[in-house]
Amino acid sequence: MSNLIQAEIPDGLLQQANALVSQGWASNVQEVVNESLRRYLESHQDVLAERFVRDDVAWALHGED
Amino acid sequence: MVRTDAPVVVADAGPLIHLDELDALDVLADFPEVWVPEDVWSEVALHRPQALRHSGIRLVRHEASPISARMNAIAALYSLHRGERAALALCLEHSIGTLLADDTAARLAATSLNLVTHGTLGLLIRSVRRGLRSPTEVLALLNSIATRSTLHIRPSLLDDVIRQVQREWNDPSA
Repeated sequence: MSNLIQAEIPDGLLQQANALVSQGWASNVQEVVNESLRRYLESHQDVLAERFVRDDVAWALHGED
Repeated sequence: MVRTDAPVVVADAGPLIHLDELDALDVLADFPEVWVPEDVWSEVALHRPQALRHSGIRLVRHEASPISARMNAIAALYSLHRGERAALALCLEHSIGTLLADDTAARLAATSLNLVTHGTLGLLIRSVRRGLRSPTEVLALLNSIATRSTLHIRPSLLDDVIRQVQREWNDPSA
């Protein structure tokens, strides 16, 4: 299932997305947006963010530097 | 007296901006130098210029490091911004092992390069261990993150961290 959302994209980013499409690296801008969002979500998972915070707190409380 | 046995570190924009929003950049005072690559410097200058004028910390502005093909690949893999890529490149070029960053993807990329990362939360809490701030001050700062800074952290996790440090510091309200 797909959902329709409205979002503002800065000119520069849209131009780069259009360039990728015109160069044949993506079928259309929607594909670029979907892929960008998927990659962002993969690299910003809650479990990863929490691990970094908890490791940081352990260092902050008990580290040596 | 400020202890100086901490390492030289490289900073991404996040901790500089977030700590300045909290009026707490002084927690970086015991790092002998905080290196800031040009791309990060520009980003902070755009969003929070006053953070670059703090007299109590030793910010060192660095020209861009060469970006290797490997670094470009890592930046693409983790969807890193220019500043994050520049900060990682600066670490690698000068064998600096610690990156200050808040962005999860940047920290993940740094970990893949065997770098240690610390973020705003850790730097605030560390300042008690280093004798730069009191537990009371840091607890107040932690409690004000949501209202005074643009640092995004899940509220339930922040609450949990606050309870943990209260216990560690034997805070009677824990």
